[in-house]
Amino acid sequence: MDQKRLLAAIAISIGILLTFDLLNRPAREAQRAELAAQQQAAQVQQAAPKPGPNPGPVGPLGAPTDAAPAAGAPRAPGARLPIDGPRVHGSLSLRGARLDDVVLKDYHETVDRTSPLVRVLAPREGAAPYYGQWGWTAADGRTPVPGNDTDWTADGAELAPGKPVTLRWDNGQGQVFEIGLALDENYMVTAEQRVKNTGPDPVQLLPWARIRREHTPPTQGFYILHEGFVGVLDGRLREETYSNAKTEGAKRAGVAFEQEAAGGWAGFTDKYWLATLSPVDQAARFRATYRAIPEGGQDRWQVDFAQPQPATVAPNTTGAGQALRLFAGAKEVRLLDSYRDRLGIPDFDKAIDFGWFYFLTKPFFYAIDWIFTIVGNFGVAILIFTLLLKAAFFPLASKAYKSMGKMKVLGPKMSEIKERYKDDPAKAQAEMMALYRTEKINPASGCLPILIQIPVFFALYKVLFVTIEMRHAPFFGWIRDLSAPDPTNLFNLFGLLPFDPTQLSHYLHMPVWALIMGVTMFLQQKLNPAPPDPIQAKLFQYMPIIFTFMLASFPAGLVIYWSWNNLLSIAQQWYIQRNAKVGKPAAAPVATALPKKG
Amino acid sequence: MSAAAQALRGAVIAYQWTLRPFIGAHCRFHPSCSHYALEVLETHGALRGTWLAGRRILRCNPWHPGGVDPVPAREAGQFQPVPKG
Repeated sequence: MDQKRLLAAIAISIGILLTFDLLNRPAREAQRAELAAQQQAAQVQQAAPKPGPNPGPVGPLGAPTDAAPAAGAPRAPGARLPIDGPRVHGSLSLRGARLDDVVLKDYHETVDRTSPLVRVLAPREGAAPYYGQWGWTAADGRTPVPGNDTDWTADGAELAPGKPVTLRWDNGQGQVFEIGLALDENYMVTAEQRVKNTGPDPVQLLPWARIRREHTPPTQGFYILHEGFVGVLDGRLREETYSNAKTEGAKRAGVAFEQEAAGGWAGFTDKYWLATLSPVDQAARFRATYRAIPEGGQDRWQVDFAQPQPATVAPNTTGAGQALRLFAGAKEVRLLDSYRDRLGIPDFDKAIDFGWFYFLTKPFFYAIDWIFTIVGNFGVAILIFTLLLKAAFFPLASKAYKSMGKMKVLGPKMSEIKERYKDDPAKAQAEMMALYRTEKINPASGCLPILIQIPVFFALYKVLFVTIEMRHAPFFGWIRDLSAPDPTNLFNLFGLLPFDPTQLSHYLHMPVWALIMGVTMFLQQKLNPAPPDPIQAKLFQYMPIIFTFMLASFPAGLVIYWSWNNLLSIAQQWYIQRNAKVGKPAAAPVATALPKKG
Repeated sequence: MSAAAQALRGAVIAYQWTLRPFIGAHCRFHPSCSHYALEVLETHGALRGTWLAGRRILRCNPWHPGGVDPVPAREAGQFQPVPKG
């Protein structure tokens, strides 16, 4: 009866999911098409001429926001300053002083080495604007300050490591604005802002720098992976998802989060890519702000660093300056570590979402990466590390099973209890436990060892989920990218039938590795005692099927890890039980006597 | 039962239905740690219940003989959770 009901419930649930999926498909497809178009547009390097806003104060004090582009006569596209480093290339728009074209030389969009390079920053004129910008707000309300439409001049032909460039703009009223730019060997641009006042009167200016994202990027949507605003301010990690920022921003005129802090860093994180600002002088105080600004029907996101107070620049002096670093690149653990240590950017490695279990996930990453340098394959490194972890927990598991030899002696007493309390399983179990206690044996390992292992294996799972090292890392056979789902599919007989079932529904994807995972999980469960509650026991039986479907769309590296972990558990149990000279629990004479609750 | 105790009981029940079938049941005691937690939260409240359940889990290791270990009765003069109704 129970079983029928459960089966019906599962069937109905799957039915609802499939129907929902089918109904949603047109919308999703449209969304995907739009996204593809956006990405394509973002690839377009050349900036189409577009009317820009007039130069002038950029929003209220400390709130560098943009006015909607005002209609005006179309102008020729602004000049660009090429950027070329060992690991990046791109350009800087001299119009508006925007770093809006950064491409990573070491990362391709797909596994195919001929695919386009990954773009981190994209121009305002494209469909996915994402850029860094430096500027000033006129605190006195009268000094003309550079704006989005300002054409800056550069004193160099190219920005490259060892070849710094200074941008200049003269406002015609005696103030010369300067931005000194320098690029390092990796992904860091340092910008020094200053104003020379050659006019007769003092001016009041507030310098700022910002990273602005004028579209919402596609996110993975997994709760164990943070994407969105990220930063460390006064020693605290401040994360905000796009949707949260929108809700918060709506309450406070676009300000989702604001803090005056000494140093720190803040910006936007994707799963693998990052763009942040951080003060060069980490002791200096700045006001860091996360903003969500819906403008012209488009959500725009911004992180800015500004001085807490405007500066007064007296005649014939230089002032209203600040120096910030802009990182735009890949979240490589060791690179972020080295920036943290060399440049003193606090907790910069936390841009990678190592999570609550940082103290476990970070060392795990180092260990796996170290094994990777030896064996040369990230997948194999995962397998070896999991094996080592299992070995470390082996004594805990084996201690319990040591007593299993003695269990045989208790066999007759056990069956006697079982017979006596045939109609009262709870009572029988209590008697059994009392017997274990008097005989000082117990076949179960206990809850504590299991509970200790949960965070450890979750940490490993998390590491595999977040690190860029798994991206485009091959494994044996058909797995060319451990961070992508296994491409094989049971529903077209692994490619024998010439159609793609995932076109019909996302749930029609059943790769080989997910099936291997399901089978190993099923086998492993056979070795474990079932829960005492009959409904829970049924659920227990269906777990491998549920998990097979759930993990089908997960990164292949994770599914391979699960499968391997299951296999190792099976091997461990088999080994321990063989040494204890007893059969597996299910076959032992004391089978029903095993403590079944956990 | 206080709201905190209710919430904690909810968490334990969620564990019983999600994580436990997955990781298997390995308790050395009767009643099992999760059932012990449910009962102790109901009878002793959130604070003391969490303390007792935590101690029970720490006991539930291969170096403890295990066996029957019922929830202790409330002592007189001890903090009484707000009665229902």
